[in-house]
Amino acid sequence: MIPDLLDWLDHRTGYKEVLSDALYERVPGGARWRYIWGSTLVFTFFVQVITGFFLWAAYCPSAQTAWESVYFIQEVMFLGWLVRGIHHYAAQLMIVLMGVHLIQVVVDGAYRAPREINFWLGLILMQIVLGLSLTGYLLPWDQKGYYATQVATNIVGSAPVVGPQVQQLVQGGTSYGHHTLTRFFALHAGLLPVLLVGFLVLHVAFFRRHGLTARDPERAPDVSFWPDQVLREAVACLVVLAVVLLLAIFAGADLSAPADPTEDYAAARPEWYFLSIFRFLKFEAIEQFGVAFGAIYIPGIIMGIITLFPLIALMSGGHRFNVIFMSVLAVAIAGLTVLSLYEDSNNPDHQAALTEADRDGHRARELAAGPEKIPIGGAVQLMRADPFTRGPRIFAEQCASCHRYNGHNGRGSLVTLKDRETEEITVVPLTAADLGNFGSKDWMRAVVCDYQEHFKAWRNTQWFKNAEADGDTDEILNPEASEMADWSGDQQSLLSEENSDNLNALIEFLVSETGRSDMQLDSELVATGRKVATTGSWLGALEGTACTDCHASLGDEYEEGRDGDGYPDIAKYGSAMWLKSFISNPGSPQHYGDKNQMPTFEGRLSEDDLELLVRWMVKDYPPNEVEDKQGS
Amino acid sequence: MSPHHRTPDDDEFDPPRRSFFVHLLTATISVLVGVVPLIFGGLFFLDPLVRSGRKKRDATGFLRLGITVDSLPADGTPMKLKVVADKVDAWNFYPNVPIGNVWLRRMESGEVLAFNATCPHLGCAVGYRDSEHDFYCPCHTSAFDVDGNRTNDIPPRDMDILETDIDDDGRIAIEFIAYRTGESTKIPL
Repeated sequence: MIPDLLDWLDHRTGYKEVLSDALYERVPGGARWRYIWGSTLVFTFFVQVITGFFLWAAYCPSAQTAWESVYFIQEVMFLGWLVRGIHHYAAQLMIVLMGVHLIQVVVDGAYRAPREINFWLGLILMQIVLGLSLTGYLLPWDQKGYYATQVATNIVGSAPVVGPQVQQLVQGGTSYGHHTLTRFFALHAGLLPVLLVGFLVLHVAFFRRHGLTARDPERAPDVSFWPDQVLREAVACLVVLAVVLLLAIFAGADLSAPADPTEDYAAARPEWYFLSIFRFLKFEAIEQFGVAFGAIYIPGIIMGIITLFPLIALMSGGHRFNVIFMSVLAVAIAGLTVLSLYEDSNNPDHQAALTEADRDGHRARELAAGPEKIPIGGAVQLMRADPFTRGPRIFAEQCASCHRYNGHNGRGSLVTLKDRETEEITVVPLTAADLGNFGSKDWMRAVVCDYQEHFKAWRNTQWFKNAEADGDTDEILNPEASEMADWSGDQQSLLSEENSDNLNALIEFLVSETGRSDMQLDSELVATGRKVATTGSWLGALEGTACTDCHASLGDEYEEGRDGDGYPDIAKYGSAMWLKSFISNPGSPQHYGDKNQMPTFEGRLSEDDLELLVRWMVKDYPPNEVEDKQGS
Repeated sequence: MSPHHRTPDDDEFDPPRRSFFVHLLTATISVLVGVVPLIFGGLFFLDPLVRSGRKKRDATGFLRLGITVDSLPADGTPMKLKVVADKVDAWNFYPNVPIGNVWLRRMESGEVLAFNATCPHLGCAVGYRDSEHDFYCPCHTSAFDVDGNRTNDIPPRDMDILETDIDDDGRIAIEFIAYRTGESTKIPL
């Protein structure tokens, strides 16, 4: 029955001959592992088509939905992380396999006559695969892909004559937007795969026509493709699949923060296989000839020479030249890649940028997963309105020239200065308080008990040095000689056994005045502390003193515009309201008055930025499970 | 790639025989590497059916329509209204957007009769024909009388009546539920 049916089918289609041609192809010299590379490439492409189709069914190419749909695939949809992980890593493995295939073809001389055309087809396929990598990298519309692809399209724009026009065509305009994604996606999922299939069919057909290039035809008796060679290739594909699955499961595909052209991304790097050319472009000796020279002409010349390999091989010693050229190129690419990785790993600023990129990516996914989901304007709106994300950046821009945040600039980098003559890089000394623990118990304790030490950074400022030289140290904020410094300086009494309960209660009260929800407080202790602050319950030398002797409004509600009468108004000290008022105008009579040295930020910081900065400092934002490496 | 063009060294030859085990192993691995990506991709595609934690459409509860009974035509002529509520679409959240239409009729008793405006046949929008005093779907000519009873055999059931709630001030709220089309009974989506 079944044989009859198959005969019928064969009579109509002739499939048996096709199948037999395909499976019983002769392998001169026996099956070998070194012939597997082409098949693994076809297999990875097959994996990409399959996973690509399913990702396509969930992807939404526009500037407000690309990141969002990829986030949804990655974090919400069933097995989405796995399918995307496979697609992500198979793409990278394809580049590796392509490199190995090319090297093997050159070393084994498989590019020589009569196989020139097939070699050229292979080079075209290589360009198509690189095109797929490049277009695919942008599609998640995350910071990483966005900035890396910007570089690539700007390189296109640097091409001679029609560069800018081609760039606009590719981008769908003069800048990135909806049409960049629709065009990239049409290339990635439409044109390029179709071209790849077309050229692959020719490539395989020509390969069949000329047969396998046997490394050593006399090595062993000839076998047929099935099953000897197929077994090896199937095992190789299994290994490829296993590697891809392991990477997808244990490393996973990254998704950095949604693309935001107004948010710098210092961690920008191309995908690792383009690192060599990236590093190459950083040589000033190359770059001085213009971007097109290093990014288009040189790679173009190299590709040109590779294209001429079959013709060069016709000359005596030609094949040897080709092998040497290929080897030098491979070493150069590997060398530049390693150099780039090495430099980055030793660059603390780049490492800080990577940490921040990681933090932002996690945060974006965390916010997107929140109960409010993603607004119609896209996840980038969540990030722009998030104090946890924006606060450190505003701090680094506006505050970090004097203040620090746990020793760094808020974003994890040290504040440094390079000496113009010696080129020596030094860490800039603090000239104002480190605000890393602002408003916490530690902070309050330091202000109360260790005022001198806590604000000693003022001593590093020019105004302090000038005042010291002029002997005017009474007229300035002075950590050592002021009423507060004197009071706080009475450590013997302040830290004595008899005042220990009072002190603890006062600290608890001061922290409670910040109104922050992230502090664990004991309400009884707070009430005691309020008494200590307002009526003074101190024993020993401090007896009869109370905070309110000077800071009269302490314990009251905060009132904008109140005159501190020569003393800073510390009602609700450390709260968002107090901070906003202070930062806006630290020199008002309510705050430091005439003694103030801090710039006025009213008009310098926008309302929104002030709000974001303050909310970050008092930790008023949706909870973060992201490890806040910069906060510690 | 016809055999006539093959190179001379591709002539027929007699490949060595291999055991059944080698054939089976080769076939198995070949199929395996091809099927694994398909399985993962296929399971991913089944997301709408299998995603854990995905609730059946949750009861929206009663939604205020923003009108009172008095504003409906006293003669019982149906009036169409948009239902506004928060909507979640995959990753997006839309606060207060129209999510569907209802037909409302003020009954003589002062009660309100509410219908989902989606045709129970195949989901087109049911309209009201003044000339015929009936509900009519322009897609496949489903027709219903003003009480929602079907008047021809095109639709599988009567129009879907929705629960209403009228507060002391006469403001109307409805429980907006969509039902599967093409079924003879009301099955919530």
